[in-house]
Amino acid sequence: MINRCILQIALLLCFSTTALSMSYNSLQIQLWHGSLTCAKLLLQLNGTTEDCLNERINFKVPKEIKEPQQLQKEDTTLVIFEMLNNIFDIFRKNFSSTGWNETLVENLLGETHLQIHHLKSKINKKVTLESIRMNLRLKSYYWRIMDYLETKQYSNCAWKIVQLEIFRNFSFIIMLIDYL
Amino acid sequence: MDDNFTLKWNRSNESVPNVTFSADYQMSEMNNWIQLPGCQYVADTECTFSFLKLNVLDEITLRIRAERGNSTSAWYIVDSFIPFLKAQIGPPEVHLEAEDKAVKINISPPGKQMWSMDRSRFIYSVVIWENSARTEERTETVYPRDMIYKLSPETTYCLKVRAELPLQKKVGVYSAVHCVNTTAENKLPPPENIEVDAANQNYVLKWDYAFANVTFQAQWLYGYLKQFPEDHSNKWKQIPGCVHVRTTQCVFPQRAFPDRVYFLRVQASDGNSTSLWSEEKEFRSEAQTVILPPVLNVKTTSHALHAYVGASREPVDLHRPLIYEIRFWENASSAESRILQEQTDFTFPNLKPLTVYCFKARAHLLGEKWNQSSDFSDVVCEKTKPGATSRTWLVAGICVLVVSVPVAVYIVKGLLRCLNYVFFPSPKPPSSIDEYFSEQPLKNLLLSPSEERTERCFIIEDVRSMTVLEEAKGTGGDLRAYHSPTLLLLGEPPAETQHPLSRGLPTSVSLCRKRIATVFGGISRPFPAIADGEAGPGVPL
Repeated sequence: MINRCILQIALLLCFSTTALSMSYNSLQIQLWHGSLTCAKLLLQLNGTTEDCLNERINFKVPKEIKEPQQLQKEDTTLVIFEMLNNIFDIFRKNFSSTGWNETLVENLLGETHLQIHHLKSKINKKVTLESIRMNLRLKSYYWRIMDYLETKQYSNCAWKIVQLEIFRNFSFIIMLIDYL
Repeated sequence: MDDNFTLKWNRSNESVPNVTFSADYQMSEMNNWIQLPGCQYVADTECTFSFLKLNVLDEITLRIRAERGNSTSAWYIVDSFIPFLKAQIGPPEVHLEAEDKAVKINISPPGKQMWSMDRSRFIYSVVIWENSARTEERTETVYPRDMIYKLSPETTYCLKVRAELPLQKKVGVYSAVHCVNTTAENKLPPPENIEVDAANQNYVLKWDYAFANVTFQAQWLYGYLKQFPEDHSNKWKQIPGCVHVRTTQCVFPQRAFPDRVYFLRVQASDGNSTSLWSEEKEFRSEAQTVILPPVLNVKTTSHALHAYVGASREPVDLHRPLIYEIRFWENASSAESRILQEQTDFTFPNLKPLTVYCFKARAHLLGEKWNQSSDFSDVVCEKTKPGATSRTWLVAGICVLVVSVPVAVYIVKGLLRCLNYVFFPSPKPPSSIDEYFSEQPLKNLLLSPSEERTERCFIIEDVRSMTVLEEAKGTGGDLRAYHSPTLLLLGEPPAETQHPLSRGLPTSVSLCRKRIATVFGGISRPFPAIADGEAGPGVPL
């Protein structure tokens, strides 16, 4: 009987702590909405159909994005900031070969820029050697994506692969929001 | 600096002539050394090379050796480094265009390869001063294509710009000083003090203007375009409802501007000429939605009062959190208190017990610029339960009751027993009789009146009439007199079954007598013996 009581209390505590942690601050809510909107916009980008499965490539997502548990809170803000800036830069490139709706891409850029605008004020100005090195690893990942696009001469297939990778990026960002 | 790196080295022996140097490089994942272009067979002790076509984020290792004729020295391997981390930001290119009270600035970011990923991330810092009065310097942060306002017309201004990457802790080198003359003042000044307000489902754009009889037009631009050094002058679009307006304000629907960052500008026109554009105002649109009052539930528990608010319907995709406010007061008084919080569960712990409190709730939507509130919900009143202290008394009282009831029952039982003993004695003799009477048949007689056996006594008074008398069955000594002229006697028939007549009279009489003595109580009181032969006519008993 006592064991059952203790178990019930323990379960209640567990649920209440998760329930408490589920209350997000306004930055998290805004980022979450923004990332969802961007992901939805990405899915709407339908251009010329082509079989591009052969062109898949592993861009080697850095561990800061894949395993954010080891990051501190300020570093997570930096990671998301860097990711959004680079996604922004990627979609500025020439996508004429894809036949994408330009208004959609403009919306995507505008929405991403809004998230950057939100994060800018929350960025901790203190820069450490570790944060610079982390920044470098993130930059290398996006450099690989942009280099791939350039090597493939911004072809339709190359953009499709990149579109998929950026969609993955937004799902990573949504995961990272929990660590803010 | 930027894309160009300079490698310097020292010669070990200065006097030897005809010595040249060559350098190779190797990237982190390569296995072979590649010749470094621009650093082959240099006679000098330094060479410059650039990183075009290379990944500047990757680690690079250099090696260098000296040559003379056909002989070469050993390779000297330079410590590996990451070009991006080592590079310094060079001076940006600047172009200026003067207006009457402003200068249009056009900055081209430094570097081609090195900063290719950070081109839109540079923060440009401008130092501007009047050429004549150098002391009045002003520093501003500008976009790559921006305007510097608040200048005087017909004055020479000079400025210098540098690019910074704060997140990399990099500060660039200042550009060369550029000077420009502002033009004469324009007849039509541009509108000033642009403000945006939200009303109903529209935005209201307001500005100030000194002169009358002019029409205005307003334009907007996507905010993100300002980040880029490319020309965006052709990307400005007309705001619907704000073309050729005569008033110093215009209204446009919120629907047309989803929640983003925009820039707005206004221009005045008097038919013949147009003014210059006003200052570009950054505008962060925040769509206003109707917020319905929340649904309020109040529950009382033993310790406190809990209130739960819920949205009456699913809200529109709001990018901002809702804050809930509950106001409460005692039903009797009118003094209100209020609690504001983001969670939907409210607890009111320190309320007076057994009092009626009334509650009403509303929701607030907090934005960057504008706050919206819903109306209040319906008032809900609840009475608080008894307080915790009286509750403990209650619990204590119950415990005392639980303990005292069996005790009381026990006491009452004891009393009843006493009463019973006093007023309604039990016919049963006490058990101490056992000590005195150990004879079994006597004991039987004494202790089991219910089993009183019928005794038959035969008294033969005379030969003529013989009556058998019987005692009524044992109900504790109930004697019944039979109408008989003879003596009524009770007794157990003797052990012999013989008819007493056969044995003679005296035997039976003595036995009966014994019985009479015992039956008529008086254990201590012997019955006066009836003399033999003296039995006269029936003695009623």
